[in-house]
Amino acid sequence: MTGTALRMPALLVIGFLVAMVIAAILLAGADPASVAYGIIERALFTRAGLLEALLRAIPLTIMGLGIAIAFKARIFNIGMDGQLIAGSVLAVVAAPLLPGNIAGIVFFLALGFLGGAVWGGIAGVIKARFGGNEIIATIMLNYVAVQLLSWLVRGPLQEKMKIIPRSDAIDQALRLPVLFDGTRIHAGLIVAILAVAIVALVMLRGRFGYRLAVVGANDHAARYAGISPAWMAAAVLILSGALAGLAGAVEVAGLYGRLQEGFAPGFGIAAIAVALVARLNPLLVPVSAFGFSLLYSGLGALARNGVVPFPLINILEGAIILVFLAATVALRHGGGQTREAPESGARADG
Amino acid sequence: MDEVVFLSGLLAAGIRLAAPIALAAIGETLSQRVGVINVGIEGIMLVGAFIAVLLAVQSGSPWIGLLGAILAGIAMASLHAYFVVTLKTEQIVTGIALLFLGLGLSGYGYRLTLGELGAAVKVPGFRELDILGLADLPVIGPILFGQHALVYLAVASAIAMAWMFRATRLGVIIKAVGETPAAADSAGIHVDRVRFLCVLAAGGFAGAGGAFLSTAHLWGFVENMTAGRGFLAIACVVFARWNPVLAVLVALVFGIADAAQIRLQSIFPAVPYQFFVIAPYVVAIVSLAVGSRSSRMPAALGLPFAKPR
Repeated sequence: MTGTALRMPALLVIGFLVAMVIAAILLAGADPASVAYGIIERALFTRAGLLEALLRAIPLTIMGLGIAIAFKARIFNIGMDGQLIAGSVLAVVAAPLLPGNIAGIVFFLALGFLGGAVWGGIAGVIKARFGGNEIIATIMLNYVAVQLLSWLVRGPLQEKMKIIPRSDAIDQALRLPVLFDGTRIHAGLIVAILAVAIVALVMLRGRFGYRLAVVGANDHAARYAGISPAWMAAAVLILSGALAGLAGAVEVAGLYGRLQEGFAPGFGIAAIAVALVARLNPLLVPVSAFGFSLLYSGLGALARNGVVPFPLINILEGAIILVFLAATVALRHGGGQTREAPESGARADG
Repeated sequence: MDEVVFLSGLLAAGIRLAAPIALAAIGETLSQRVGVINVGIEGIMLVGAFIAVLLAVQSGSPWIGLLGAILAGIAMASLHAYFVVTLKTEQIVTGIALLFLGLGLSGYGYRLTLGELGAAVKVPGFRELDILGLADLPVIGPILFGQHALVYLAVASAIAMAWMFRATRLGVIIKAVGETPAAADSAGIHVDRVRFLCVLAAGGFAGAGGAFLSTAHLWGFVENMTAGRGFLAIACVVFARWNPVLAVLVALVFGIADAAQIRLQSIFPAVPYQFFVIAPYVVAIVSLAVGSRSSRMPAALGLPFAKPR
């Protein structure tokens, strides 16, 4: 089986997917060209749209890095929404104990990291110790986290006024400072940039990155190389969960200042799309995250004006991943490997 | 006697809640037996649930809705099959994309159609059967004779599928394709064609599961109403060691856990309801830890088949 033989079928399905998205927009009674133009105009050529996108790119970058690490090792963490909640809950619960200075902010973010690590670690233990599937474990833990958050903001963590299901605001000193006056862009941007640098170093240069690639390419080869796939699976789930938790703490400290339900809607899904389109390359993750954020920002504005229903974003996320998969097949030359997953990173040279 | 009535009601409700999971699990069993994982069945179920309600409202018949949901499930699955069987892409990533697509298509379609009409739409849903007039029998009546038609169909298809695997030529072909595709190919079996068709059939089952949720269990569509049932179905397949009848029984455990948590909420009003809602998910997490060891999965599961030259 050569790669070129599949070029036409791959191009065909790309055409089909594009047609499907256009048909969906037409069904809403909207004009596809003006929807595309509207998204671009709002996202790229208005200050508000651009800033909104930059703001959203912060958590999506951090979470996309976590997905990149996990998927590289072929560990499919689709429970980032739950890990994000666990991280932000732990940070907010401990917030009253923290000092009101820079150290306090660092602790706050570290607690978010820790909370996410614990939630991801549950799936990690199930995978490593018992061989339980991480896809099922992480998604089940999502539902548990959502319900626990729902209870917390109506129960023990509810604000003193007991009116709205949300927590009291954290100390102003623990909030991430705004970087540019007149915007909401906060120091989480610096956290995201640091995260990109660190994860890129670890994945592209370090021994850990080599191990990720080996485990992702082939379990047996990994065992020969003295790497335990089970241990790596646990480590990877802890690490990617931790990054989701960090993103949650950044959102709380940077934007909302308190816990409430549904404060990061669909981020776990979006992070997967972000990482896949970035080809699991940590250096491309921020670019991809910003691209998806522009899409969110532009489409969100159109949806608020009633041009197209908002779930179009999920259709686009699914279609973009599929187009990306098909394009990889279309562009591939030669071939013949049996397990030939473009995004599983058979690059063991890293 | 009160306890008996309580348990009988619990079991009857548990069966109702298990049915959508069971239907999806039967399909996923078939798909995985030929070597294809579909983690996107949650998305297929959502599309099935939406299409079932839409067509039931427009035609006035839940059966038309069911048929539409099955066809929609097959259509969604054909996309999965085209990618993983024909283009040989990574199965799990493709399945995740399918999940997003299903989430989007069902939510988008709903907001364009029924969602605009508000909650006032009357959905002509399925009613429970009353087989031989025995549904009112105490204790066993509602369990054995008072279920939805789809419940009996699900049980029948699970048994038929188990028999197919065990005793028919088709079953041998399916198992060969999932275990030793190269040998199956040498024997003149079109491996990719068998896989494609089984993935389509699995999509039909998932679509029917979605239809059960929105036209039998509830009468109406809510965005993301499957709430993880597609993933519970995948868990059923693994715990049941790829046996369709066992998969239905595992689904029943999840269904009973769900039925029990709903009843416990009203028995213990002082306990926050969220602690009961998580019950089926916690059951799944615990059983992942307990039930995953030493499972013998189809040897070629997840691997694309490259015809040797």
